[in-house]
Amino acid sequence: MKLVRAITQAVLLAAVAAAAAFAYNAVQPNGIDPFRRPAEAPVVDRTLDLPGDGSGEPREGISYISLEELREMLEAGDPVIDARTAGEFEGGHIPGAILCDYYEMGTYFRTVLPRLSPEMRIAVYCSGPLCEDSEMLARELYALGYTDLRVFRGGIEEWTAAGMPLEAGYGEDR
Amino acid sequence: MTIERNGSMRRAAPADLILERDGLGAGERLWPPLSNRWFLLACRLLLAAVFTYAALQKIGRPLLFADEIRMYGVIDHGPALYLLAIVLPWVELFCGISLLTGLLMRGSALILAVVNVVFIVVIAYRSAAIMNAEGIGLSQVFFDCGCGFGPTYAWKKLIEDTVFFFAALAILSAPGYRLVLATARGRRKG
Repeated sequence: MKLVRAITQAVLLAAVAAAAAFAYNAVQPNGIDPFRRPAEAPVVDRTLDLPGDGSGEPREGISYISLEELREMLEAGDPVIDARTAGEFEGGHIPGAILCDYYEMGTYFRTVLPRLSPEMRIAVYCSGPLCEDSEMLARELYALGYTDLRVFRGGIEEWTAAGMPLEAGYGEDR
Repeated sequence: MTIERNGSMRRAAPADLILERDGLGAGERLWPPLSNRWFLLACRLLLAAVFTYAALQKIGRPLLFADEIRMYGVIDHGPALYLLAIVLPWVELFCGISLLTGLLMRGSALILAVVNVVFIVVIAYRSAAIMNAEGIGLSQVFFDCGCGFGPTYAWKKLIEDTVFFFAALAILSAPGYRLVLATARGRRKG
């Protein structure tokens, strides 16, 4: 009987916790739809050397870019998005990058999306070749109507290995 | 006045005696130190602190937690994954609050005992997969278990969760009056 009481309490506690969880999930900006499907986007090319490469021509979908192409985009003033966390961004990011933590995109989209427009070429990066957050974020952006997304797979790892400068803090981003 | 099952009547029981009836009491019969008041209080505070902190690291970032759960290779996708990512941190939080306040304490001890067994099983499962894939021993397996405390060695996590399991079990099995914080009252009662 005593165990039954413990089980009853456990069920009650779990039910209250679940109710609170769903209520909070419904109102907070990073809440998720439990029936969501990961965003999909066509991948133009997974190789870094597209024939006739050059950031000039618009592409439909996600393409991977090299460090060289990223630099061209930076020079051209195209938006470059950092998909890592605020802490990682603060520790050092590509100069001029816009912070948009993939896992808190609901929050960041409020300030980031107004700075983007659908016809822009948008570069996205994260820590390095092993992280997938840049591509995941690019897919989410594609689902929102931004069509030309360029993922710099090398990320911060390749950027620093090439001896490129990092910018610390939040810069003009906050 | 309360009416007992056998129909007799007695004076309204003080709170600690009411709690005593709730207790499983098995711990005390098994090994008396298990139901030492201070030991039980330490168990409560330990579990409350750990699970409240862990919950707060995960609440508000369900997508991140879903990714961390996915890494175990047990639930890969779909509503089950996301529901777990939304609900589990809140269950941990409510268990923490429950152990701190004493409300529904047995229920939370039962939940924590069960989830820690699940944690131990899935961490062992994932560790075994990593050991096989990388040809390393358990002592070298290092990953972020998604527990809320960052990356750590799997063996440490296995020991921690075993401690948490037994702490929860001690609370679950203690006689109720031993869980009352007002020890002065308990002492008066002898």
